[in-house]
Amino acid sequence: MRVFRDLMWFFRAHRNRYLGGIVLLIIVALLSLIPPQIVGMIINQIQSKTLTKTHLTEGVLAILFTALATYGLRYWWRVLLYGGSIQLGTELRTRLYHHFTLMSPQFYHQQRIGDLMAHATNDVSAIQETAGDGVLTLVDSITTGVVVIGTMVITISWKLTIVSLLPLPLMAYAVSRFGKALHKRFTLAQAAFSDINDRVQEYISGIRVVRSFGQEAWERKNFVALSQDVVAKNVAVARIDSLFDPTISVIIGLSYFLSIAVGAVFVVHHAMNLGQLTTFTLYLGQLIWPMLAFGFFFNIVERGSASYDRVSNLLSIAPAVEDRPDALHSVPSGDLVYRVREFRYPDATDRAALQDVNLTVHRGQTLGIVGRTGAGKTTLLRLLFREFDIQQGDITIGGISIYAVALKSLRAALAYAPQDDFLFSASIAQNIAFARHDASDEEIVAVARLAQVDQDIKDFADGYGTIVGERGITLSGGQKQRISIARALLQDAEILVLDDTLSAVDARTEAAILTALKRNRQGRTTLIATHRLSAVEHADQIIVLEDGKIVEQGTHGELLAQEGRYRDMYQRQQLESLVEAGGIGS
Amino acid sequence: MSMETLDYREGPRTRGVFLRLLRYMLPHRAKVVLSIAILLAATATDVFQPILIKIFIDRYLVPKHFPSGVLIELAAAYLGLVVATSVLNIFQLLLFQILALDIIQRLRVELFDKIQELALAFFDRTPVGVLVSRITNDTQAILDMFMTVLSSFVQNITVLVGILIAMFALDATLAAYFLILIPVVGGVMFLYGRVSGPIFHITRQRLSILNAKLNESLQGMPVIQSMRQEPRLRREFGEINEAYRRARFRNTQINGLLLRPLMDVVYLSVLMLVLWYFGMRSFSQVVNIGVLYAFVTYLSRFFEPVNGMLQRMNFFQQAMVSAERVFQILDNPGLGPRQEGDQDPRVTVGRITFEDVSFSYDGKTDVLKHVSFTAEPGQTVAIVGHTGSGKSSVVNLLMRFYPVDRGRILIDGSDLRTFDNMELRRKMGLVLQDPFLFVGDITSNIRLGEDGISLDQVVSAAQFVQADSFIRQLPGAYQAPIGERGATLSTGQRQLISFARTMAMDPKILVLDEATASVDTETEEAIQAALAKMRHGRTTIAIAHRLSTIQDADLILVLNHGEIVERGNHQELLAREGLYHKMYLLQQGSGRAVG
Repeated sequence: MRVFRDLMWFFRAHRNRYLGGIVLLIIVALLSLIPPQIVGMIINQIQSKTLTKTHLTEGVLAILFTALATYGLRYWWRVLLYGGSIQLGTELRTRLYHHFTLMSPQFYHQQRIGDLMAHATNDVSAIQETAGDGVLTLVDSITTGVVVIGTMVITISWKLTIVSLLPLPLMAYAVSRFGKALHKRFTLAQAAFSDINDRVQEYISGIRVVRSFGQEAWERKNFVALSQDVVAKNVAVARIDSLFDPTISVIIGLSYFLSIAVGAVFVVHHAMNLGQLTTFTLYLGQLIWPMLAFGFFFNIVERGSASYDRVSNLLSIAPAVEDRPDALHSVPSGDLVYRVREFRYPDATDRAALQDVNLTVHRGQTLGIVGRTGAGKTTLLRLLFREFDIQQGDITIGGISIYAVALKSLRAALAYAPQDDFLFSASIAQNIAFARHDASDEEIVAVARLAQVDQDIKDFADGYGTIVGERGITLSGGQKQRISIARALLQDAEILVLDDTLSAVDARTEAAILTALKRNRQGRTTLIATHRLSAVEHADQIIVLEDGKIVEQGTHGELLAQEGRYRDMYQRQQLESLVEAGGIGS
Repeated sequence: MSMETLDYREGPRTRGVFLRLLRYMLPHRAKVVLSIAILLAATATDVFQPILIKIFIDRYLVPKHFPSGVLIELAAAYLGLVVATSVLNIFQLLLFQILALDIIQRLRVELFDKIQELALAFFDRTPVGVLVSRITNDTQAILDMFMTVLSSFVQNITVLVGILIAMFALDATLAAYFLILIPVVGGVMFLYGRVSGPIFHITRQRLSILNAKLNESLQGMPVIQSMRQEPRLRREFGEINEAYRRARFRNTQINGLLLRPLMDVVYLSVLMLVLWYFGMRSFSQVVNIGVLYAFVTYLSRFFEPVNGMLQRMNFFQQAMVSAERVFQILDNPGLGPRQEGDQDPRVTVGRITFEDVSFSYDGKTDVLKHVSFTAEPGQTVAIVGHTGSGKSSVVNLLMRFYPVDRGRILIDGSDLRTFDNMELRRKMGLVLQDPFLFVGDITSNIRLGEDGISLDQVVSAAQFVQADSFIRQLPGAYQAPIGERGATLSTGQRQLISFARTMAMDPKILVLDEATASVDTETEEAIQAALAKMRHGRTTIAIAHRLSTIQDADLILVLNHGEIVERGNHQELLAREGLYHKMYLLQQGSGRAVG
């Protein structure tokens, strides 16, 4: 019931809709009393031979009136109540989505996308059901129940009413009990289903391994076992499920029996007549639904309130990175300066991710960042985007701390192309124009040329209209990276950040991209993190990171002369790229 | 979803799909017959209940004649019927559900077996998500059809027929009028199907668009935020959300107009007719009140099953769409290559010969043109060339992932086509560029499904490729859990585990698709060392990027646009004083950089 209090904000906002729906439900419950009364009346008149044609016509017309009136009203309350619950679902999804767009990367590291999806789909539908079927079952079972029982007591016999209702609480109990057991087993069945889903997903992703190692029989065995598990869990559900309706029938049958048996005694003693007895059993039939509904109600509310808790917990998480109240709203510009004394990830206590990183990149210069995996290259770049805030130290652009600038303005100064970039299920043109939706076709083609991906795109059957992403064609790693670069270039930001974005691009294309960048990005800053040194050879400044510290710093020539790590890496890679080139050159 | 069939049709296709689904019940004939028999019995006992009350009213209550013995029997019979109905129904419902589950289990396994046989080309074309949804979600929709729709339709129709029979027994003339109900109810169902079907489909489509948008936004949130596109995406999501809301609302409207409220009007109309009929008759003759009571009761019972069926029509339509998709996969003719003939040759020493092999994926452009070479037992053949030169196709053909179009590939003198699948898989070890790890632990990833590989062998395979030391540092060592796609390990570590996996099989032939992805120097050294050891004593075909592999190769093939443009070993190529020579000199100069 608490969930109704939690949802009060919505009910209040849609006061008329809900009040109207409830009033209509009550009117329908009252109208439904008419037909059984008429049936009873006519039976009595037939029996006592007092029926006249006028009476008969009036009775039949009254039923007709009820039929038409309830049709209209039933349609109306459905539209009001269910329409309201659909509205609630829509609003909750909008809120969640809005909230998701405010969450920082840290949030996405902690939460699994599958779980977030489940909140936005399953939990929202459970809440929606509470506001729709929940309200309906509550109002309907109470009004119909009260009205029908009241009528039975007043117009027929309170004694018979009590007798016939004796078995019905059993039904509400059974429904709620079975409902709970069903829910529990159903959850298990769902879990088994999601297991098999994951397994099939993995099997298909790894199909080459499965086939090359001849593991088909093993995979089949696994699949059959999981599939059997799904069947077993579902049989457990079926066992309860198939008890449901028959149990209810027995209880209803018992109720009918009691009312006919005891009713017959009343008829014999002239405490009531046959018509009343028939009317009574018809009313009894009308009580089945509210009883069932009452049982369902508890399950709906239970699920709804668990879901509401999960959703509101999610909504209450505050964004990790927020603007200062006095944040500047101008886009920062100028020299980029890192003064990092120390940075640790919030969940890591043992060692600093970066330590004593001090460097200055003058506006228009290119900085190369090299080092092995885990040396801190990506961390260094992430700090610039305020994915995390530095505990000790500062980063400034044009002398202004990035923490003094509004996040939106800071991001306007930066364009980012990560190694494993995400492309959306949209056309290539739409993906490139992601940051500037209104970009012209010429602008899109121009950046694609700069990123050396124009020819690849033209080779696709649909050219720039080719759909990519999860539901489109599969691109090679190199193509994805180049589209990601084109996308970043179209942002036309002062600082371009390439985080190992050329790793899957061959040496010649890499060189062409770097040359194009140099020409195109005059006066603007570029940061390139890479494993492959050829990408930073022409940088104005190169830093070599190791365990979060700068171990070598200088230009390509200076670093080669130092005969250190950089030189070792360079020579090895030089040879290998020559081997690669051998295939094309000769 | 754009991939899914969007059109909505009824008619011959739906009927064909439905009949084909029904055929899955054939092997379970006995169970089907049993369930239906129990269902019939349950319906009979159910329908008989009001008749007992009618007997009671007419024979005893109206004439006020109460012989206690008969009445007790009557009461016992009534309660007996109530209980019998329930018990029979429990069995019937359970049997139907188990039957449906068995059918789906068979369909799922059949689908899985089919997927196992399909050519790899199929997987290149079909997104993983779509395939997964065929095997799980679509079969689930069909299950719902069998479980709820089929059993409830059979049950409800039986109940309806039972009620009609009972009515005929009570009053044939009035019951005959009742037959009008069949076309009326059928008409409403047809109308509902017509009107709600398309809306239902649109609603489902919009929901899947909504989910796809949400999923994609969550995955691409870093991009969205760094490019400051939150307001636009919120707007786009809002539009999709609103479109979904409208579709849902339309659904509610149609359900409100055509489902229960309309059926209630039909019910009350018929009630009017019954009263009118009995009322009018009472003016000329004596009316049997018991019959009237029974009719009124039957009437109120008649509409429960009808409502039940109406509500499930949407599931039926959804199941037909799903079944059609499943059958499309089952009917896919594109099977992977298999053993031909019954020679059953063995891989003995591992001599590999390509004889004038040409190959095309699409039947138009050749990705391999007249490729011929021989790898003698124990030799290493390195293939170099730029992206798209056809290097990977050599591996795809050799591993028999794709059938050889033209020319022949021979292993130890026998045509590749004549080998048994298992023989090939056991004797040829493939090391893939992207080392795919499965959810499980280190041991299960090295051993895969081969229970015959002992723990000691797992460890020695890991030692052999020098993965043992890093594995022992992991929490849990060989039992260290591995998450989705091995995300907890670095690229180099994944690479080494996949090497160990290959070595545990101890293949005669090694097929290497070396990774281009750059890893840090130390891991790189470990990988090189492992590769060198693995190649020793095995025929190796390598798509090579690593200098060490190429330098040691007995034969180096340079591929360009599917053709071998240059071949020879290290010395021969060196003697040409071409590019190779230049490389060699550079290597001499740098000394310690390359070991």
